[in-house]
Amino acid sequence: MHKTPLLDQLESGPWPSFIKDLKRVAGRKKSAADLLGVLERSYKDKITHWKHGGIVGVLGYGSGIIGRYIDLPEEFPGVEHFHTVRVNQPAGWFYTTQALRELCEIWDEHGSSILNVHGSTGDMIFLGTTTDQLEPCFAKLTAKGWDLGGSGSAMRTPSCCVGKARCEWSCYDTMDLCYQTTQHFQFDMHRPSFPYKFKVKCSGCPNDCVASVARADMSVIGVWKDDIRIDQAAVAAYQGGEIKPRGGGSPYAKLDVKADVTDLCPTACMSFDGKKLSIDNKNCNHCMHCISLMPQALRPGTETGATLLLGSHAPILEGAQMSWVIVPFMEMEAPYDEFMELVGNIHEWWSENGKNRERVGELMLRLGMRAFLKGVGLEPVPQSVKTPRANPFFFWHAEDFEAEAAGRKYIK
Amino acid sequence: MAERITDIGPPKFDKFLPPVIKDNYGKWKYHEILEPGVLVHVAESGAKIYSVRGGSGRLVTTDFIKDVCDIADKFCDGYLRFTSRNNVEFLLTDQSKIAGVKDACKKMGIPLGATGHSVSNIVHTQGWVHCHTPAIDASGIVKSVMDDLFEYFGSHKLPAQVRIALACCLNMCGAVHCSDIAILGIHRTPPKVAHEKLRHLCEIPTTIASCPTGAIRPHPDKSIKSVVINDERCMYCGNCYTMCPALPVFDAQKGGVALLVGGKVSNSKTPPMFSKLAVPYLPNNPPRWPEVVGAIRKILIKYAEGANKWERVGEWVERIGWEKFFEVCDIPFTFQHIDDYRWAYDTYRTSMHFKF
Amino acid sequence: MALSKAELVEFIYDLVKNAQGKKQLKAMDLQKAVLKANPDQDKNMVKFAIKELIDSGRCVYTYFGGSFVEIPHEEGAAKKV
Ligand code: HEM
Ligand code: HEM
Ligand code: HEM
Ligand code: HEM
Ligand code: SF4
Ligand code: SF4
Ligand code: SF4
Ligand code: SF4
Repeated sequence: MHKTPLLDQLESGPWPSFIKDLKRVAGRKKSAADLLGVLERSYKDKITHWKHGGIVGVLGYGSGIIGRYIDLPEEFPGVEHFHTVRVNQPAGWFYTTQALRELCEIWDEHGSSILNVHGSTGDMIFLGTTTDQLEPCFAKLTAKGWDLGGSGSAMRTPSCCVGKARCEWSCYDTMDLCYQTTQHFQFDMHRPSFPYKFKVKCSGCPNDCVASVARADMSVIGVWKDDIRIDQAAVAAYQGGEIKPRGGGSPYAKLDVKADVTDLCPTACMSFDGKKLSIDNKNCNHCMHCISLMPQALRPGTETGATLLLGSHAPILEGAQMSWVIVPFMEMEAPYDEFMELVGNIHEWWSENGKNRERVGELMLRLGMRAFLKGVGLEPVPQSVKTPRANPFFFWHAEDFEAEAAGRKYIK
Repeated sequence: MAERITDIGPPKFDKFLPPVIKDNYGKWKYHEILEPGVLVHVAESGAKIYSVRGGSGRLVTTDFIKDVCDIADKFCDGYLRFTSRNNVEFLLTDQSKIAGVKDACKKMGIPLGATGHSVSNIVHTQGWVHCHTPAIDASGIVKSVMDDLFEYFGSHKLPAQVRIALACCLNMCGAVHCSDIAILGIHRTPPKVAHEKLRHLCEIPTTIASCPTGAIRPHPDKSIKSVVINDERCMYCGNCYTMCPALPVFDAQKGGVALLVGGKVSNSKTPPMFSKLAVPYLPNNPPRWPEVVGAIRKILIKYAEGANKWERVGEWVERIGWEKFFEVCDIPFTFQHIDDYRWAYDTYRTSMHFKF
Repeated sequence: MALSKAELVEFIYDLVKNAQGKKQLKAMDLQKAVLKANPDQDKNMVKFAIKELIDSGRCVYTYFGGSFVEIPHEEGAAKKV
């Protein structure tokens, strides 16, 4: 065991200590002991000691393994190779203890016993093993019904919020869509052939608990079209202080329905006369504020589906983007044919036109929304913009004149 | 090859759902937070499921997972899940067993919380534990910040929920760019070229091609068989180091931490927002990063004092104005705060709506 | 004339081999090069020809900021220098 005076200072304090945890396995795992050693070195040197490995993988796949080598192999031979394995998580991150124990058994045998539960892509990350252990580990995983997630310029592992399994606000079955999408795109997940990564994340309502709008090329966010369901008796109970706001999760004991709910409604589409709550649902922009504050009184409507937004990614290269609306409403019922077809069309358009390392959102900005919409077969809709253009630089194509002559609004 | 299994995807989720969820799937009516870290969801049928939510370090070991499994076996018929912010949730139907789960978590050192108006677990990336381009460690800073903000994890004291995220380089694996408070590792100098190593380890054409800004050229002296970097074009992304291990982008002295604030992803009241630069540089100071911990605490306290009910950090800052934010939090405003990248104009003030 | 499956596999292998060390090719670059030389080639066949090269181990997927198809080789990072 290496001496780790700096890391040892992270053992104290009330938050769970990863150092304490790593030390538990360092006794039986040379790789864990050396990981602590090299981490201590990084704490001292203030630099990383890892090198990227770009070639390791399991046969047939170009995804699921992130290669790493240490730059101090003589001192820390236990982590000379320290590759990670991305294990595709079950939708919603539900497990039984039996399943988790099986995964632990595989990782105790074939790796460092260290893992991320979960990585930011959603996968369970097995952190650190040697090249020769990758195939046996993969074989054990598949034998137990597990597979690797996506990495590289591929379809990435889709992920989703808990959805209908335990959230009353979910406007479609996020876990099922996530699972079906993962299955549908297995080939593209494991054989990277896109210009860059493509992420799908599914949230059941505009609260967006998996942050899909910020970090998925395709963000699927549940929404309702009809009226918010109101239980007036419960509204009165909130006003009377019998029910605590926000399920009891705030510092405020009692709700003032007018001040806290209707006055803060961003569309001013609600009113409360002291007894009855009214909502002008045609003007509600389904922000979820009122529902989040009064979960026992208000629920999303029943004509539900999802909004599709496209294009978000982290800052490289054009600066961070958030996804923007491309389809305001799509029904989301298994087998999701319309969704799968659209995602397939987007892949095709992007693969055809994208440069290496160009995310689909960046391509769309480069070639323009029109090229995108035409490329994937969508019509222009006002919901996709905050405002129409403010400049006069709009152009006309022969097909516009043809449409005009034929008395049509659009090309189709 | 015949016996090799591939492309099966993950197991279907319904294998792992507790019976109460299977029976009431899509039929939940409302929920309550009974106390910080303990939720009850009530179905149309009247059935209830209790979830006890606790924090984890995300970077864990199989020993930890097995301990967690022991708790779930003892009290939850073996059912549990994890949240999008790396919290663990014990799922149970028998209310009388909640106390047992709480005790067991306490023994194991798993803190309960992350519900309602709390500071939930910090979403974060790999740092020095596994990645080749970080400027900072991830788990160590997270541990230090969470130790400091611990009182907010297991309580509902804040005006709204506060989501903190950390990414150890500008690639931002953790997608920190829409968090109430984002901790970002930054490099401030271009890679240093190790000419001697480069010759042995790297292919020059592919190394040049790897740079997204075209900052790399062949070395003008052909006999050196190496490359040079145009410092003005380099944005310190580290991609060349991915391609070629002779181009390390990190610098022990100059690397450090930036803080961005005011992002959100929910649509509640206001649309999702990006986090914006608050503190351009804080020193990289392991093992406990006191400057970072202190700066975050200060922002959080000022927010808690100044925000209206239900206001997220970003909503608070927009209401008072960024100039007031810098004043209240006592943060100096610098050249770095003013955008000069691709969409800079969007951030310039074109109105008289500002304060002195 | 479209290539037969076996010819296509060799055609793609040669593309990869000739570019090795000079330019990293993505699966889509390969498809475009095939279609340029043989405009009537079925795209799906290209996909499966690449799969065959990968499954047989003659080519591998690599990841260096983007994913490429290359001939297996020892990378710089794996060397002890
Ligand atoms: C251009 C942008 C990006 C680049 C160049 C990049 C690069 C990388 C690299 C090099 C790693 C390996 C880290 C390691 O395990 O050693 C990694 C891991 C990872 N990346 Fe990214 N990344 C980018 C954006 C993102 C985004 C936006 C997300 C999330 C939505 C993400 C999610 C992940 C996840 C989950 C991991 C596994 C490590 C972890 O869980 O933190 N990446 N990425
Ligand atoms: C194809 C595009 C445009 C053309 C052909 C055009 C043409 C003109 C012309 C001929 C004038 C009168 C100049 C003069 O004799 O004083 C003018 C003035 C003006 N234009 Fe434009 N314009 C265009 C786009 C725009 C746009 C995009 C804006 C603003 C968003 C704009 C704003 C103005 C303003 C404010 C004036 C008055 C300037 C002044 O009084 O000094 N124009 N434009
Ligand atoms: C193809 C587009 C446009 C053309 C051809 C055009 C042309 C003109 C012309 C010929 C004039 C009058 C020049 C004069 O007074 O002798 C003018 C004036 C003006 N235009 Fe435009 N324009 C265009 C678009 C716009 C747009 C989009 C804006 C604003 C958003 C704009 C704003 C103005 C203004 C403010 C004036 C000055 C009016 C005034 O003198 O009171 N123009 N433009
Ligand atoms: C009383 C209201 C709310 C309830 C019952 C609720 C429910 C949940 C549930 C069940 C999760 C776990 C999801 C998963 O891991 O798949 C979660 C996580 C999350 N929710 Fe909500 N949500 C509420 C309000 C909100 C609001 C208003 C926002 C944003 C403004 C929000 C943002 C998030 C985020 C970012 C997470 C990840 C947090 C974590 O795992 O600790 N939630 N929420
Ligand atoms: S995104 Fe909406 S439906 Fe999904 S868990 Fe969060 S609050 Fe529930
Ligand atoms: S969901 Fe938002 S916009 Fe709609 S009524 Fe409620 S507060 Fe208003
Ligand atoms: S944020 Fe950067 S340094 Fe951190 S894991 Fe991701 S790529 Fe690596
Ligand atoms: S760090 Fe990034 S921008 Fe700078 S030279 Fe390397 S690849 Fe180019």
